[in-house]
Amino acid sequence: MTSALVAQTPPKDALARGRKAWDQRLAQTAIAQLEIAAKDPATAAEAHELLGRVYTFKGWQQDNVMPGWHDEPAYRPKAIAELKASLAADPSRASAQEALKTAEAFAAAPRVDPAAPRPEIRALDQRIQSFASEPKADADAFMAAVQERIDAQADPAPYFAAAQILIEHGQYDRGVGLARRGVEAADRFVEQNLSAYQMSGKAEGSRARARTQAADLEGQAALLQKDYTKAAAKLEEAERLSRGLDFNNQLHLAQLAEAQNAAERARAHYLNVLTLSGGFGGAPQPARDRAKQALQAGYDGSEPFDAWLEKQLATKGEERKSAALKSLVDKKLPALKLTTLDGRPFDTKSLQGKVLLLNFFASW
Amino acid sequence: MPHLKTVYSKFQTDPGVAFLLVSIDDDAKRLQRYLDEMKFPFRVVRASSAAMQRAMGFNDLPSTFYVDRDRIVRYQVLGFESHGDSDARVSWYIDQLKQQAKTH
Repeated sequence: MTSALVAQTPPKDALARGRKAWDQRLAQTAIAQLEIAAKDPATAAEAHELLGRVYTFKGWQQDNVMPGWHDEPAYRPKAIAELKASLAADPSRASAQEALKTAEAFAAAPRVDPAAPRPEIRALDQRIQSFASEPKADADAFMAAVQERIDAQADPAPYFAAAQILIEHGQYDRGVGLARRGVEAADRFVEQNLSAYQMSGKAEGSRARARTQAADLEGQAALLQKDYTKAAAKLEEAERLSRGLDFNNQLHLAQLAEAQNAAERARAHYLNVLTLSGGFGGAPQPARDRAKQALQAGYDGSEPFDAWLEKQLATKGEERKSAALKSLVDKKLPALKLTTLDGRPFDTKSLQGKVLLLNFFASW
Repeated sequence: MPHLKTVYSKFQTDPGVAFLLVSIDDDAKRLQRYLDEMKFPFRVVRASSAAMQRAMGFNDLPSTFYVDRDRIVRYQVLGFESHGDSDARVSWYIDQLKQQAKTH
């Protein structure tokens, strides 16, 4: 939107747009529109209150509400200032009084829980999923349900969920089309909420996850249509984007290898599923079980299967160690401005002569 | 991060090895809550996120650097490691640098 257009926007329209954008969790647009509305006396009280609510969410309540989001403490004083500005414009505004009380309680609390999932969004997600088990479902009704969810909240999840269902029901083109739109939606959503990711690597990770999902879905569709060349291109693209860490993608690559009678390659992908840890980004038990069963079915060695599997997994571990050698950096440790927990300076030179593990982290 | 505690138990009596954790939290209250919960047996310090990203060249967390006795950064692991044997790899990096130190 150009500034000339914004300047012509009547404050009431800006307020409505800001509210709608916030409902969809498009924070950047919401804030820009609400700031316009806050400047006009007719809409100031309501716009300041909404801004205060947006900032309260960003400051205290957005932790992992979307993958990669974390609280932004910088918004906390802004939240309280906006809510006070709302009450300055209209001292009798009860909803703003309530919101200010909440924000002040958050500021004083030892901890604040993230916002609960919105029930209306959950209901729309469940409606999309309800079509998964109905093979004769009405395609138009399905697409209408998907569109309703897309309009309600702008995150990319419904595109990929719906694409998966369409592909499983043989609607390949429609599914692939939705998956591609999901990538555009993800880019826009990340851009609109960039500061919530705190670090550029986390935002990049979110965009890469969407591309991984889309490429993997496209690969699945090609696999089901027995176009193995295209399936390989797309599934391998997803593997590159996810650095081999997406267990669904590894399962699909194994299936492709089986379809091409490449037993060795299938085995390697099933082993990858098993080496992904149970924690962050790891494969859940059903996927692990599936991989293990497939390996056992294809196993014809003489030693017991479990002993063989253990050896294979150890070999994978050794391979990762040699790959780790590539992370060689060789640069002088720069001077770092560090402080102890009680605020005194700390110099890494005090650790001179030791092998040092230096780990950067955040509690979020 | 709990895996660093597991690995540390192997090296805590080794005077030639140190673990240093750097928090880039803005929210001191939250950091303290996390540390109370984790009870790390090694030193934790604080720093500004932007300054550390600039100095060390990372843009994701957690990021781990392995520094040798001559203060040269030898290995880096940027972002989460999601393979089940990451404990073994952390020890392995340290052992590599300990061996290197001996041959000097």
